[in-house]
Amino acid sequence: MTEEPALLVQGLTKSYGRVQALRGVDLEVQRGEIFGYLGPNGAGKTTTIRCLLDLIRPDSGTIRLLGIDPQSRPVEVRQLVGYLPGELHIDPNFSVEGALRYFIALHGNRVDWSHVLRLAERLELDLKPVIKNLSHGNKQKIGIVQALMHRPQLLLLDEPTLGLDPLIQREVLHLITEAKQNGATVFFSSHIMSEVEAVAERVAIIRQGRIVEVAETESLIRRALRRAQVRFKRPVDLSPLKAIPGVQVLSQGDGESVLLQVEGEMEALIKALAAMPLSDLETERPSLEEIFLEYYENKAQEG
Amino acid sequence: MKTVFRYTLRNLRGGIWGWGIGLALLSILLVSMYEPFASQAEYLNALKDIYPKELMAFFGDIEKFLTPEGFLSIEFFSYMPLVLGIFAILTGSGLLVSDEENGTLDLILAYPISRSALFGGRWLAFLSATLIILAFCWLGLVIPMQWIEIDLTWAEIALPMVALGVQLLLFGNLALFLSLVLPSRRMAAMTSGMLLVASFFITGFAKLNEDLEPISRLSPLNYYQPQEAFHGLNGAWMLGLGAAAMVFSLLAFWLFQRRDIRVGGEGGWRLSWRRK
Repeated sequence: MTEEPALLVQGLTKSYGRVQALRGVDLEVQRGEIFGYLGPNGAGKTTTIRCLLDLIRPDSGTIRLLGIDPQSRPVEVRQLVGYLPGELHIDPNFSVEGALRYFIALHGNRVDWSHVLRLAERLELDLKPVIKNLSHGNKQKIGIVQALMHRPQLLLLDEPTLGLDPLIQREVLHLITEAKQNGATVFFSSHIMSEVEAVAERVAIIRQGRIVEVAETESLIRRALRRAQVRFKRPVDLSPLKAIPGVQVLSQGDGESVLLQVEGEMEALIKALAAMPLSDLETERPSLEEIFLEYYENKAQEG
Repeated sequence: MKTVFRYTLRNLRGGIWGWGIGLALLSILLVSMYEPFASQAEYLNALKDIYPKELMAFFGDIEKFLTPEGFLSIEFFSYMPLVLGIFAILTGSGLLVSDEENGTLDLILAYPISRSALFGGRWLAFLSATLIILAFCWLGLVIPMQWIEIDLTWAEIALPMVALGVQLLLFGNLALFLSLVLPSRRMAAMTSGMLLVASFFITGFAKLNEDLEPISRLSPLNYYQPQEAFHGLNGAWMLGLGAAAMVFSLLAFWLFQRRDIRVGGEGGWRLSWRRK
């Protein structure tokens, strides 16, 4: 029997009054995958995640987490899921330890306290202070510990590194990678493209409540537009380059240099350049951030 | 549910101690004053003729002021629904929605706990807190009976507590229901409070003006027995009030099951029961 995906969403719609937050979202995340969910504020990332946990009820569509319907069997799903909300609020009168012990009690005391201590130590989280005296970053660390402490099979993380310093951000990404190595699936939303690029195997881009792209992170970057700055030993005829499908001349200097935009694979361009008196070639690989922005800028014009 | 119950009761402990000890001390003081009052019967009889009957209508049968049940009713039980009603309304209206407004419910409901268990745990904590406060009041009334001669048994004093408790449950559950219908906890508490005060005045004025009697039948405090309860509760009234409290509680339960949990802040006027 084939194992069901860790996360399966089909035709998910959700409206808040007249505002349509989700307009038919389809997603499939395989078990053991790290999946990045990208989109600007208000695109529908948080609404999707909150529907997954049955915190809000979709207008239509189906959801299965680890093969379970969260609306009909919410408790079963939540036993297997670790959740970090985008806006984390914890009773401010708790101490850090008090809050974590309360969360453990909500898990039916089935959490190994020494594992909690290890996580806290790795994130440099002091357990003594009262939560109302903590900075945003330290509260976020509590959020991460509570999401990971019961070794969930599926992690739903909404902006996990928000407000953390770079060292702790890196540690959180390590924890995410380790969770995957231990068999967990990670579904996380983020604004920080570099971290998505660093850990996510696949990404989905959501725009105005619709998924506009689902792809492997690598291939998304590979097939995106990139720029090539070419210098020649002497002025050359650029027509062979212009004739290559997907290649566009952006600017042309004195005939000895040219800035090209390349869509897709570089192979044809490199072959053409090999027949020319090439002096220097610099290519710029776009970051996920540039691709993301491109999606938004281009699609917004189309929309 | 046990964890939710324990945690909620822990959060209510300030209110329990504050209201409980405060009212227990007041009760001790009042019972201790009974003998000096009773020994001044002729002055008090003269005094009660001076008080306007409009005022006395709110405090029960003034003719029985010098009886133990009349004294306790006028000095304590007659206005307790208003005093402890504040606790019941504030606790009921905040039972679920407070955590939603401060954003903590989002995380709690991501844990393996059903909405029914969360509702049940918190509702039981509210019930327990109310009963503990009433127990403090009862103790405050019965402890001075060790040194004050008062012709009432401990059980007889417990009966008006039951009548009071049912009123508190009714208004607490009304506030809980309204908190899930109205946009905010603040508005639910305010509306329930206004209904409580209106009920108090309508019931009192109906004793002076017969025209108000049909309206007063809709008022929960019309069925409150601060004085008569010492010698037996009106079972039908108790059942009716209890049933009304349960209806509000069940409606609140139903609304909570269907509710979209907010991330924080107050909500809007959208009708939550129309959601899927």
